[in-house]
Amino acid sequence: MMKKLIIQAYLALLLALSASCVFAAAETQPLLRGSYQKIIAAHAGKPFIVALWSVSCTHCGADLEIFERLAKQYSNFNLVLISTDTPEQEAVIARTLHSYNLGRTRLGQKRPGKIESWVFADSYSERLRFEIDAQWYGELPRTYFFDDKGIASGISGVLDAEETERWLINHL
Amino acid sequence: MVLRSLFGMIACIAVSAIAYAAEQAKPHDMSKMWQSSLASQQLSASAIFDERGTLWLAQVQNGHVMVSHSEDQGERFSPAVKVNAQPEFISASGETRPKILLAKNGNIYISYTQSLETPYAGNIRFSRSVNGGKSFSTPITVNDNLDPITHRFEAMGINARGQIYLAWLDKRDAVLAKNKGGKYTGIAVYYAMSDDEGKSFYTNTKVADHSCECCRVAMAIDNTDTPVIVWRHIFGKNVRDHGLAKLDGKKTQASELPPPQRVTFENWEVEACPHHGPALSISGDVYHLAWFNHGTDRSGLFYAHSVDGGNTFSTPISVGNGTRQAGHAAVLSMGKNVYLAWKEFDGEVTTINAMRSHDSGITWGSVQTIADTRDVSDHPLLIANKEQVYLSWSSKLEGYRLIAMPEEK
Repeated sequence: MMKKLIIQAYLALLLALSASCVFAAAETQPLLRGSYQKIIAAHAGKPFIVALWSVSCTHCGADLEIFERLAKQYSNFNLVLISTDTPEQEAVIARTLHSYNLGRTRLGQKRPGKIESWVFADSYSERLRFEIDAQWYGELPRTYFFDDKGIASGISGVLDAEETERWLINHL
Repeated sequence: MVLRSLFGMIACIAVSAIAYAAEQAKPHDMSKMWQSSLASQQLSASAIFDERGTLWLAQVQNGHVMVSHSEDQGERFSPAVKVNAQPEFISASGETRPKILLAKNGNIYISYTQSLETPYAGNIRFSRSVNGGKSFSTPITVNDNLDPITHRFEAMGINARGQIYLAWLDKRDAVLAKNKGGKYTGIAVYYAMSDDEGKSFYTNTKVADHSCECCRVAMAIDNTDTPVIVWRHIFGKNVRDHGLAKLDGKKTQASELPPPQRVTFENWEVEACPHHGPALSISGDVYHLAWFNHGTDRSGLFYAHSVDGGNTFSTPISVGNGTRQAGHAAVLSMGKNVYLAWKEFDGEVTTINAMRSHDSGITWGSVQTIADTRDVSDHPLLIANKEQVYLSWSSKLEGYRLIAMPEEK
């Protein structure tokens, strides 16, 4: 009996650890041809924000700071982060996300909000950009606010923190 | 069973620990990743014809600027000669390409932006060949501020007197202001001049405060041998239109320079990096300017000319198809003939489209598609061999191509 309990405890621990193992894997998912439409479809019916950023973008940190605060405050904040860097830059992308508490959670850490991260994974970045928005020329940061009907409005440049929070409150 | 699971668990913890360690801020990793990012897709090249019709090409390969030449319009190239003997992290994508210029005495001048390990940081490097491209001098750093900060996006020009000019974007004043607890919008524009055939450069001179951070600078020489530069500037709080300045050596003593002459008025108010700089060509006393903007007043790719030394410009005309991301234009003027080439993308294919004017940019012929590709590519560059104009263009799938501007339909 006791032995069985121990095994059960082991199995439970294993399960938790294997979950943490998944989280310790890649920080970002590869954004390929067609991925963006799938992301949008997966979020259909709920308001969410798509934020395009890069580790080499001078102004992107300001937006990540805003998202960090909103994710902390609003547990049902849906955020899709897309880095326009390359999958080879995974380590620096992960480090940047973690420095803003926007990375994947690790064992013993709790991060509110529903955040997912993607990275451009096609050298033909023009095509990925075009799939996202034919009117977006690649300037960063670039953010799309999707309402529950799937209608998006795009903004280039650093966001206004108050306006972003107001949008979030109005759409939650 | 339990043993096997235990083993798996230990392996998993080990992997987690490794993954965790990899996520910790280590300057060493940072530099490695930054460098790997620089190694990708270094497609941006420069080319120029000499007076005998030989094509000279500067490309970046494995950390070296490589110079080769072709006697048959790019069909076959000589073995490439290394400019920098020691490998460096050289920017050669998007807005930054290595530059190559030829002097009347046969000297070859090379400039490039060396990227440093700190993100956005770089140095403006210069090298020359005085033996017809057989060998190149050890590169020198032209920016006299050597902090690991932005000195990037250089433009190079040479006038009829043989004076070499380099202008670039420079963060030194922004850093200084921030260290003093002040605010400084954008970064600054600096230049340096050499009048000893590139042996050395004079002290750096500031042209303007508050340029945009990440768009290429354009330079052309006017008919008084003065270099003229155009760049994306920050006007007012955050309007990213274009400024123009003449590098005529007239110094201002003010620590904060007055705003430069504004030449575009689309009012793109944005706190972002557009990565989309202007193009400039001067023929006789006409300035030809192409630029991209995404403002409230107008949006897209534009062309305008000035007949009064850049004081006023013609009403901008829209260039290319705005629904196909028309952008990254090159402009070349020779006498009254003016050529424009730019990129478009239809969702699958990137094309280089071009058009020409025979009356100094007043009227324009029809648009022709002169090249295409289905993967990543350089921005277009226009060069001329006597009267014949060529597109100089690199793409990932096709490599370097020199394409003669076709006859007009």
